Amino acid sequence: MSAALRKLIDALGADAVFIHEPRAVEGAKLEATLRPAGGEALAAALRLLSEEALPALVRGGGTRLGTANVPCRARVLLETQGLQEPLEIDVEEGVARAPAGAKLSALRGALAGSGWELPLDPPGSGTTLGGALAASAVGPRFASPRDVVLGLGVALASGERIRCGGRVVKNVTGYDLAKLFVGSYGTLGVIEWAWLRLRPVPEETRVCVAPLEPGADESALAAARRPSARAAAVVDAALWPEALPDGASRALVVELAGDAAAVEDDERALASALGVARAEAGAIDALRDAQGAGPLRVRIAALPGGLADAAAVLRAGGGAVLTHPARGLLWARFALDGPEDERGTEGALRAAGEAARVAGGACLLEAAPVAAREGREVFGGTSATLALERAVKRQYDPLGILNPGRFAGGL
Amino acid sequence: MPEGASAALLGALREIVGPGAVLSRPEDLLVYEADGLTVHGALPSAVVLPSDKTEVQRVVRACRAHGTPFVPRGAGTGLSGGAIALEQGVVIECSRLDRILRVDAENRIAVVQPGVVNAELSKAVAPHGLFYAPDPSSQLACTLGGNAAENSGGPHTLKYGTTTNHVLALELVLPDGEIARLGSPVGVAPGYDLVGAVVGSEGTLGIVTELTVRLCAAPERADTLLGIFGDVVSACRAVGAIIASGLVPAALEIVDKRTIAAVEASVYAAGLPQDAGAVLLVELDGPARAVARQLERVRALCAAAGAREVAVARDAEERQRFWRARKGAFGAMGRLAPDLYVHDAVVPRAKLPEILERVCEIGDRHRLRLSNVFHAGDGNLHPNISFDRRDPDELRRVTAAGEEILRVCVEAGGVISGEHGIGTEKRDYMRLVFSDADLAAMCRLRAAFDPDHVCNPGKIFPSTRFCMESDPKARGYDRVELA
Repeated sequence: MSAALRKLIDALGADAVFIHEPRAVEGAKLEATLRPAGGEALAAALRLLSEEALPALVRGGGTRLGTANVPCRARVLLETQGLQEPLEIDVEEGVARAPAGAKLSALRGALAGSGWELPLDPPGSGTTLGGALAASAVGPRFASPRDVVLGLGVALASGERIRCGGRVVKNVTGYDLAKLFVGSYGTLGVIEWAWLRLRPVPEETRVCVAPLEPGADESALAAARRPSARAAAVVDAALWPEALPDGASRALVVELAGDAAAVEDDERALASALGVARAEAGAIDALRDAQGAGPLRVRIAALPGGLADAAAVLRAGGGAVLTHPARGLLWARFALDGPEDERGTEGALRAAGEAARVAGGACLLEAAPVAAREGREVFGGTSATLALERAVKRQYDPLGILNPGRFAGGL
Repeated sequence: MPEGASAALLGALREIVGPGAVLSRPEDLLVYEADGLTVHGALPSAVVLPSDKTEVQRVVRACRAHGTPFVPRGAGTGLSGGAIALEQGVVIECSRLDRILRVDAENRIAVVQPGVVNAELSKAVAPHGLFYAPDPSSQLACTLGGNAAENSGGPHTLKYGTTTNHVLALELVLPDGEIARLGSPVGVAPGYDLVGAVVGSEGTLGIVTELTVRLCAAPERADTLLGIFGDVVSACRAVGAIIASGLVPAALEIVDKRTIAAVEASVYAAGLPQDAGAVLLVELDGPARAVARQLERVRALCAAAGAREVAVARDAEERQRFWRARKGAFGAMGRLAPDLYVHDAVVPRAKLPEILERVCEIGDRHRLRLSNVFHAGDGNLHPNISFDRRDPDELRRVTAAGEEILRVCVEAGGVISGEHGIGTEKRDYMRLVFSDADLAAMCRLRAAFDPDHVCNPGKIFPSTRFCMESDPKARGYDRVELA
């Protein structure tokens, strides 16, 4: 190890390699932290890690470090916040090239006034672009990072730097490798930068809230499918007490955005059907925070028609639920009596498994103490195509130096 | 002329699918010599038409047992030579797997077999107020399996995205004969996004035997506006202005003067003005009042870009006629010359005016009949070169001009294919866009799925022995002979 670290110091410089007492992170004992200052340094680091067969835990902003299998078999921490090449915004085109180390909040700030917005809004302050893409992190407004990425720069485990896709909005030139890296939790390569397709800032935006009676799931789905609804959620009172009228057990929150006339018409339709009232624009931020909170949190993806049954099972098991009806996603938060609460953990996970089963969906254990994740498949069961996925992993990271053990199926 | 499949392989194939579903006589194979790109041709050794996934699986295993490569094929409407069988391979045509298995209107998904014709799906789900968004110009013939292989686009992908944005799950017969189910109807599945990797892989990673696709809600209103311009460059300026304004029309298509003339002389005639330099078709869809407001904004932007007239289709019938004209444009080109070469490069939209000028200049300099009908809103050019391949000098000029056009587009930050794929046609140009490391990274994916290169070999990658670096078992291919 020490010889390997010396080589890393020689290659990256002393100010990019920190040797420390073994630090327990995600079940791994990390003996050093690498902070490459750019793509070349990152590639050099990966090349050396490969040569030395030294596995790394890759970290962006650290906001999703707990959404992964444990233990990670890494020995060093590889931080990507030093990937900070200049942001390039093409306002005529509505595309931007952004570095992986940039915080999403910084990118939003840089886009302010350009007429375009970043179609990524996962919870977690400090989330980096690279981390959000690697974890395929979604938020109340935007649920599909894979569809936002036009092109990627990636450093492979071998230290080769590659580009996939491009900057144009339509492209079938070769395999669509960007799809492979987005959502692969850093196990196939480290994202350096991305070309992103931006969205025009809507002409009008309004947030509406109404208390929702239990059993009104169809109305919620219809509301979420209004043409201008870009965020729509049903949220339990426990997740968001301050926003609810007294005594209501849950609320429908809808953000309408787009053409001003469409927004106005949708608002009127929702007011007459569900009695929604206008709320503050910040309500969506609160919704995002509700999605990201809690010591033990599961996400279930199901067909829209299966969500209500899943939510009922989770509530019966003590969960507080947030549903995105049109997207087929829900989150449930469970209280724990400290990180060692095995009974609480067991009960919550039983409910989650049952909920996924009744909905015919997939369950992701999004947050849980390390101890609660040990011996469990966080990504919700083994993939039916694990052999194929192993073959993919072997091709891109044959020595297993990138986040080994963290992803679905222990990849 | 290839030797043909061995008697043993033919026997095995007939055993699996029945004698009527195996073609091996030269006159039957001739149909499969090319796809929509007729200048690249190769005769398969046999064509087999399985009727279900088990037959596909057994056919794949039989081919493997006999050391014969195989190529999946849908309707053969592709435009890059992707569905032709090199190396005397067997074509596995999926047209008999043509059932819509399930429509789930509540959850807005459909489960289909790969041989379902694109337009048939939208027709089948229309009673539910739904439609399938990707709409290639060939949608009356092309199949959803082929669309998935090519990640097909179409005019309406500007707003709705291409095939990859609409496929949720796939069943795939892998090159080793195993059946894999990738993705999930719920849109999120544990593990790598292999659906995203397979869509657009041009039939090189396996044979799709079932697709679960997303359906979209039909808009309350759709209007089609026709901007009439003196020249194609000012129509391009209008496109740039519309995109920069933040409007997202459902479609933004440009048809130039030569194309208008061909269309108006054909069965697709829609009354497009023949004295115009170009028309810009703008489709806006969504809530009625929003569409009405956006129509006025687009009208003003077209006028500011120099449109001599802006007309709105009066009714659904006229709207359909405009779109039939647009989608029939390639067919109408048959009136101009025996052969048509369609390019497919994409450039940043703001650069369309200068690129179009250069494209036209290249066509003129090579003394070619070049016309443009394209997805301007996506920056996806389709310079069409009408020619006669029996004239070797003209064919040479077609190739030279094509290469120049690709170089110009790549230099402008573009790519060489937006929706037609690389196939055999553009594999030698992949290095214009990608480094060897980039291409080797693609080969790694290939190696994970098809380490022996038996599934549609010879496509996508440059014709040198490229993938050998990442997979020593890979074989190289020389340039395909132009027929």
